[in-house]
Amino acid sequence: MVAVLFAISVLVFLIFNVIPNSDPAARIAGKNADPELIARVSADLGLDQPLYVQYLTMMKQIFTGQLTSYASSQNVVEQIWKGLPATLSLCIGAAVLWMVLAIWFGYLSAVHAGKFTDRALTILSLVGISVPVFWLAAILLYYLSFKAELFPTSGYVPLSRDPLDWAYHLILPWLTLAVLYVGFYSRVLRSNMLDVMNDDHVRTARAKGISERQVRIKHVLRNSMIPVVTLFGLDFGAVVGGGAILTETVFNLNGVGLYAGQAIGTLDLPPLIGVTMFGAFFIVLFNTLVDVAYAFLDPRIRIGEAAPV
Amino acid sequence: MATPSDAVEAPGDPVLPVGVPAARIRGRSPWYLAWLRLRRNRISLAFGALFLLIVLFCLAAPLWADQVAHTGPNENHITDTVMIDGQQTDVVSPDGTPIGPGLHGRYLLGADQNGRDVMVRLMYGGRTSIYIGVAAAAITTVLAVLVGLLCGYYRGWVDATLSRIMDVVWAFPVLLLGIALGTALALGGLKIGALQIAGDSLWIPIMIIGLVYVPYMARPIRGEILALREKEFMEAAVAQGKGPVRIMVSELLPNVVSTIIVFFTLNIANNMLLESALSFLGAGVRAPNASWGTMIADGYQTIYTAPHLTIVPGLMIVLTVLSLNVFGDGLRDALDPRAKIRLEH
Amino acid sequence: MSKLRTALRKVTVLSCISAVAVFGVAACGSDDGSGASGGGGEINISMTSFPDYIDPQLSYTLEGWEVLYNVYTPLLTYKHARGEEGTAVVPGLAEAMPEISDDGKTYKLKLRSGMKFSDGTPIKASDFTYAIQRLFKADSGGSVFYSGIVGAPAYADGTADTISGIVTDDATGDITITLDAPNGTFENVLGLPFAAPVPASTPLADDATNNPPPSSGPFMITSVEAPQTMTMERNPNFQSVLDAGATEVADANVDKIVVTQNKSNSAQVTGVEQNTIDFMVDPPDADRLQEVKTRFGDRFRMEESINTYYFWMNNQTAPFNDVRVRQAVNYAIDPEALNRVFGGRLHPTQQILPPGMPGYEEYKLYPGPDMNKAKALLAEANPADRDITVWTNDEPDRKRIGEYYHDVLNQLGFNATLKVIAGDVYFTTIGNQSTPDLDTGFGNWFQDFPHPDDFFRPLLNSDAILPTNGNNFSRASYPELDAKMDELLTKQLTEGDTEAQYAALDKAYMERAAWAPYGNEQFTTFVSDRIDFDKAYHHLLFNQDWSALALK
Repeated sequence: MVAVLFAISVLVFLIFNVIPNSDPAARIAGKNADPELIARVSADLGLDQPLYVQYLTMMKQIFTGQLTSYASSQNVVEQIWKGLPATLSLCIGAAVLWMVLAIWFGYLSAVHAGKFTDRALTILSLVGISVPVFWLAAILLYYLSFKAELFPTSGYVPLSRDPLDWAYHLILPWLTLAVLYVGFYSRVLRSNMLDVMNDDHVRTARAKGISERQVRIKHVLRNSMIPVVTLFGLDFGAVVGGGAILTETVFNLNGVGLYAGQAIGTLDLPPLIGVTMFGAFFIVLFNTLVDVAYAFLDPRIRIGEAAPV
Repeated sequence: MATPSDAVEAPGDPVLPVGVPAARIRGRSPWYLAWLRLRRNRISLAFGALFLLIVLFCLAAPLWADQVAHTGPNENHITDTVMIDGQQTDVVSPDGTPIGPGLHGRYLLGADQNGRDVMVRLMYGGRTSIYIGVAAAAITTVLAVLVGLLCGYYRGWVDATLSRIMDVVWAFPVLLLGIALGTALALGGLKIGALQIAGDSLWIPIMIIGLVYVPYMARPIRGEILALREKEFMEAAVAQGKGPVRIMVSELLPNVVSTIIVFFTLNIANNMLLESALSFLGAGVRAPNASWGTMIADGYQTIYTAPHLTIVPGLMIVLTVLSLNVFGDGLRDALDPRAKIRLEH
Repeated sequence: MSKLRTALRKVTVLSCISAVAVFGVAACGSDDGSGASGGGGEINISMTSFPDYIDPQLSYTLEGWEVLYNVYTPLLTYKHARGEEGTAVVPGLAEAMPEISDDGKTYKLKLRSGMKFSDGTPIKASDFTYAIQRLFKADSGGSVFYSGIVGAPAYADGTADTISGIVTDDATGDITITLDAPNGTFENVLGLPFAAPVPASTPLADDATNNPPPSSGPFMITSVEAPQTMTMERNPNFQSVLDAGATEVADANVDKIVVTQNKSNSAQVTGVEQNTIDFMVDPPDADRLQEVKTRFGDRFRMEESINTYYFWMNNQTAPFNDVRVRQAVNYAIDPEALNRVFGGRLHPTQQILPPGMPGYEEYKLYPGPDMNKAKALLAEANPADRDITVWTNDEPDRKRIGEYYHDVLNQLGFNATLKVIAGDVYFTTIGNQSTPDLDTGFGNWFQDFPHPDDFFRPLLNSDAILPTNGNNFSRASYPELDAKMDELLTKQLTEGDTEAQYAALDKAYMERAAWAPYGNEQFTTFVSDRIDFDKAYHHLLFNQDWSALALK
């Protein structure tokens, strides 16, 4: 896990030092700077040191919380910390929404497999995974916010300030972010449930006389959830780690994603390394959690047999 | 032996001909069976046809540009006027509002803020977007198959190393990676030894998108190869004295072809979505060239006065990606009705 | 099963409806508690980009200066007046305009007595020296304007402990500044926030944004949460500045201003329209402009600003090293088309200097657009090298301008490639000599202070062709014009025909078609219902003068 994070940080650092003409010293020195001023700024920022020294300094600064942006002299770690509530509000809310809807739709689809409900829900799911997130956000903003004036056009209201307003500003972003995943997860659940429904242990349960509904929920649904949960872990990690950048940008939510987007626009290396590390950390963390959860949820793994692919 | 008089329909099984003695029933290859299954899935076929139609539509771009619209995709007409309903109208009004869609040959879908014909740009943009999607899928497939085969066959340290690399690529926030590389390479292009790619070449987004999805495809392939490795036919092949390359190519590879086909189709869809996201953020296709993603980005500026500039390219993306997804789904059902790839040699 | 489903559905629908209802009610605009009428109250202002620094010695953007104009008063300041009157330099914390020696190298000023910063500490003459020292130690971009002070370079690189050219006496308030050479822009430069005195408690070499120094203007900064929001409140000790006799500074008309960053221009427009935002710093985007103009004309107006938008062309390499090619471009571009890209906010021009700048004179050397004339000129010049690269940055209207220009060049007969660079690094990229293929591209320049030298020197003087970070993107190098520039610098603007000579210099550069200028961007004043629209005005240097914002 540490190795992966390390590799990613080196990659980002190298990429941004490869970009020609993004010399931060020249940018900071301002539009009228003379060469002496640029040289002084360069020395102050440590940009005249060899690359590996710069890299080590930057890494040290991340971990001691001292990393400062080139473009604005703000502390990167602090900014990420400040952006976390918005990002987590967005991601957790969307995740709850998508899991609830996905389980509901997937269940309905599997239970009525082959019939109209199933077909309709499948088409809806496929449409869901075919829509570009930022486009959907723009369309929703235009129709529901601007034209119908049902929702605010942008901005994030902290939960502590006003829970109702907080939720109000987040409804459209939650919807937007959830649409893609609902489609995907409902189909995964559906296909898993269909598999499990024909398994021996389900047939046994039915033979024992348990009601169909109980069979479906306690035996089929429960067992189908394992791959869904593991997938969820991975996707949630990815969403927090950087997948929310588009939604945050369009809806102007002051989260980590928006911060990353701005840093990219300004080719500002310190925030970018900070956010990338943050993102990678989350993804790797959730990868690990998923592996642990999988072992926990699937007794066969715990007991030592090979897991189904 | 009597043949069944009634057709027995198991889900996904094709119907066996009635009244023909068993000995005379021709053996059907799995491919033919798959094709029969696919043929019965009308919705999938319909969407597959839709995709082809969209491709044809985009390929017709030069025709439309020459014959109907009389303008190229990048030609600005900001201060020009056009004859609509007998009236000379400004393509772009003095306050910057472009004309909207309407039933006229020129500017059928209206104009954008630079006075360019949206319909023409849509068609040329489609060519770019689809081209990127397919080319990137090709790169992903080749790399993913390579990685999957090597990991699955050799296991050990080869697997460990390649899997770690895949982990790094997988863990790298996708958009940030795409934007980072896109911006980094846009200025000077890519120069590795003899290989030279210009900064605004389409190959830069193609390579980036191709690279990003390799782990996504490589992992399932690797998993399958690992499973296949344990089968008896592998022992037989090794006993026959076949070298690793021959085994990988002639024994293992054919067994994952179905997975590859399905993933390839779905990958095109994902690639087009990623390309639109990258172009929206300015790191994909470079201006002034059109792609559906850049058109959405451009249209986004005027979404309140000219929403069609954003809506139309987005709808095209949705239609194209949807048709690929539905068709890909149908392919998956046809190639493997039991949702677990289990073709034996 | 079906009963449960029906029940579930009912609950879902009901909760959706009630949710929408609740939020619908909450959506009806909230009413900020408004203050008393005339001379009080609280307003909120939105901007798309937060100020780069909340530090008078470091801030070098329009947003930053707009905020700091009424927070830190320098020795001299700019008149709080609209239009050209606002470009006049007048006494601020100093008693009177400086006494300039005959050789133009010594400036004598006297600080008013009895003034206090917002935290109660007295304002001393040495606080001015401290401010200039900060410029160098904190590596401010503005330090270049003051490096002509004797001893400044030595102080900057650490060989000296003080700046020998500034002598102050805290008891009498006398300040004497000695320059290396006479400089007609020095008074202008003394009026910039860079030179605003700050107490010695301010960190010498660090950015003070998170804890701005005590103020000497009508407002003081009470909290900063960069880059989201900041708050300014009435400075209780500003009266001491007024009492000391400062007449050219303006008092605050509201008690509190809350500044918030909002990346969405459209959301800001809607906010001002619905009176939830009192003033938006940036002009409405092109697609909302028409709507604002027609529906809210009673609280919206267009404002002139001092800037020039142009296309730079590389005067030193083919094909633009041929004056005929450059003139062809001047004939070919259509300012009206570019104006439409801006949504109607671009005033067409063919001059280097913008209107409002002393020395501006309107004339048209290349009446057009005239594509035929342009093509004829190009045919005459017949450049062998037709592969050119066109540069622009990725801000939306800059990108469209670049696409337009790229198309025009292709129509002319070139084989142009467009390169779009990220906004923040655009100028350093094209200002870097080692970037290949710097043929032509987008450029603009906003004045630092209202003196023509601020346009000519950084943009067209041979010395401004630097290995990195130069602003002379056109690589224009005309020694005879350089000499003229230097000569005019030593004179004061009010002397004789200096202004007319600057106009002649402008014409000289345009005869050589060093640039292809096309427009001056107009800004806007758009305020909410609560604000007294007639009192509010646009200042030519600092955008909106926040001391003039008042509730009705």
